[in-house]
Amino acid sequence: MSDSTKAGLRRRGLLGAAGATAAITGFPRLGFTQPRQPIKVGVPTILSGRVAQLGISSRNAMQIEVDAFNAAGGLDGRPIELVVRDSRGTPAEAARLAREMITSEGCEFLLDAEASGGGFAVHEVVRETGTVTLHINSETSSLTADPRQRFWNAFRVARQGVHDSIAGGHYAAQVARQRNLRRWMTISPDYAYGRDTTAEFVEFARSFNSDIQVTGETWPRLFQPDYTENITRLSQGRPQAIYSCLWAGDLVTFVEQASIFGLFAQSQFFAVNMADYTTLQQVRNLPRGVHSGNRYLKNFPDVPGNLAFANEYNRRFNVFPTNWSWQAATGVRLLTTALRQVGGTDPRAVAAKLKGMTIESPFGAEGSVTMRAEDQTLVGYAIGWGTTVSQDPFVENMQKADWAMILRLEAEWKRAKGWG
Amino acid sequence: MGFARDAGWALAALAVFIGLEFIGLRSAGFVDFVIRFATFGLLALSLNLLIGTAGLVSFGHAAYFGMGAYAFGLLMQTGQWSIPAAILAALAATALLALVVGALCVRLSEIYFAFLTLAFQMLLYSVILSWISLTGGDQGLMGGIPKPVFLGIDLARQEHLAAFGIFCLLVSAVILRQVLRSPFGAALRMLRDNPDRAAFVGLSVFRYRLAAFVIAGTFAGLAGVLMSLYVSGAFPTFAFWTTSGEAIFMIMLGGVSVFLGPLVGTAIFLMLNDWITALTEHHGLFLGAILLVIVLGLRKGLLDVIVEHWRARKEKQP
Repeated sequence: MSDSTKAGLRRRGLLGAAGATAAITGFPRLGFTQPRQPIKVGVPTILSGRVAQLGISSRNAMQIEVDAFNAAGGLDGRPIELVVRDSRGTPAEAARLAREMITSEGCEFLLDAEASGGGFAVHEVVRETGTVTLHINSETSSLTADPRQRFWNAFRVARQGVHDSIAGGHYAAQVARQRNLRRWMTISPDYAYGRDTTAEFVEFARSFNSDIQVTGETWPRLFQPDYTENITRLSQGRPQAIYSCLWAGDLVTFVEQASIFGLFAQSQFFAVNMADYTTLQQVRNLPRGVHSGNRYLKNFPDVPGNLAFANEYNRRFNVFPTNWSWQAATGVRLLTTALRQVGGTDPRAVAAKLKGMTIESPFGAEGSVTMRAEDQTLVGYAIGWGTTVSQDPFVENMQKADWAMILRLEAEWKRAKGWG
Repeated sequence: MGFARDAGWALAALAVFIGLEFIGLRSAGFVDFVIRFATFGLLALSLNLLIGTAGLVSFGHAAYFGMGAYAFGLLMQTGQWSIPAAILAALAATALLALVVGALCVRLSEIYFAFLTLAFQMLLYSVILSWISLTGGDQGLMGGIPKPVFLGIDLARQEHLAAFGIFCLLVSAVILRQVLRSPFGAALRMLRDNPDRAAFVGLSVFRYRLAAFVIAGTFAGLAGVLMSLYVSGAFPTFAFWTTSGEAIFMIMLGGVSVFLGPLVGTAIFLMLNDWITALTEHHGLFLGAILLVIVLGLRKGLLDVIVEHWRARKEKQP
């Protein structure tokens, strides 16, 4: 009994001595060799389910940019650490994750890579917490156009629905005039994005060319597997042109099924979301001559920086970037530029720096993009329309949209909405 | 006597929670967990009044969760309502919805009842998606929910919201417990076990089931109110079938036959969810596998097994 007690005491004594030695000799050394505290950036996004590509391609692009920032020394030695979590597209879970990232995991900034529903949930969380947040995927115009949605710490680094609609409407009106396309029909997904974007496209197309008449419309459900009913309706309507804002897998399925029915032989097809590699490379027989807006193309803008980004992304992840990728990369570039200019992470100072900031960008229409001060949304990014070909580069004859026109009409649109 | 004891337990639980907050467990993560536990715990507890007590498996319980959230959010966004008044109005609206849907559903039983409740839930979900001018459609109720201070309670502060959520959960639990202990609760159990016999002794199957349906729906509406306060908005997924499915899963995990079973199931489900989400991107695969092992391994809720085991040991003792 006494022996074991002594042994226990000896063991404890030994452990105590070892601990004291470590404290005296080791801990100060640890203090010298430890890297500086990382700047944690939370990324709530969708990594599973049918739109997992949204989160995966956003995260991949962010990682490329963050690695480059960290390799260049970070912010005075402080690297950025991305904290990426899967909300599965559920707004309540997106809100929880955002809150948890801020309060429990110590994230100082958020790069919100949710789709619109989750994005608005995150928006409300950061309205309360005052965390500087860059929404990188939500294209819903009201997120920044509606003054009630604006506050000092929220920014959008994504294309905006109304910008695309103005550019698309202008392009479509020109083509309609050249080819005398008067009878139009639409096929778009039956939810807010589909209905809003289609309405805005038609409104702007008709404002540029009043001869355009929409003679019918059909609204498939989101993620609908069979479009026979919609294609039949379009065929019976015999339109000269069809507009669609279907996207990703839905657009692939529709184009493949519509090709079998010969729909594109009788009508010109305008698909705003076609020119993205996730769609272009998945359609088995990509029809020639489909009119599309650019989502992401490595040759539009045709500048070395854009091609280098696409090649680096392809080298690391074995696929090409998506629309969400260039937006995510731009988000990181804006944030890191602001951090460097501020020389710290003070949220008010970083937000003030982001407001109105212009950075050089390979994704800009003229080599730069701007975080517009008045509504904290991105402008000046490359928008263009062209026609598809079956092989790489997949889209040719790209026509660049005029940003002066977009900004003028956007201002009128805002005034008409009472948001001016 | 029963009420006094339940109220005593509830007060003790509230004191424990407040104590935990003061002795250093006041981390934001803990506070967030408490809010979500109160919300989903209340949803599961209310659903168990139908499943566990009345024997009515509803697949459409999230309809009332969604209704509570949207009604409260819309009222608060007008800027004309105080929080208590808006909560009462939201509960009244939810109760009315449950009364209308229940009147059509409770005449049916088993699979027909389950699917009709699911159909009404999906109808409400479609209305939320389609009525964009009112609900914001698939983007949800935007613009935030104002939270004016009342009685010194500031629900914009997470600690206050957590305490308020726990208070709502405990008060609801005490009320639901009294419902179960009352003759009304005994009648529901009789209807569950043998509805024909209950009808023969003169009980109105329709009225008792409808009353249970409305009570359960109203408390689910309160859970929806808490959820809308937590995320400062309301979203169509609140009224989607997956929310009902999660509530059923919480009940299955914790136990159907023990009153506190749904709360235990809620705690397990939320902890697993949070832990797995932080560890892996393959959330569904891991959560599904773990839940499968638990369900197949226990074949009952956790609390059901524990209580059965405890009773068996007690009976063996001389």
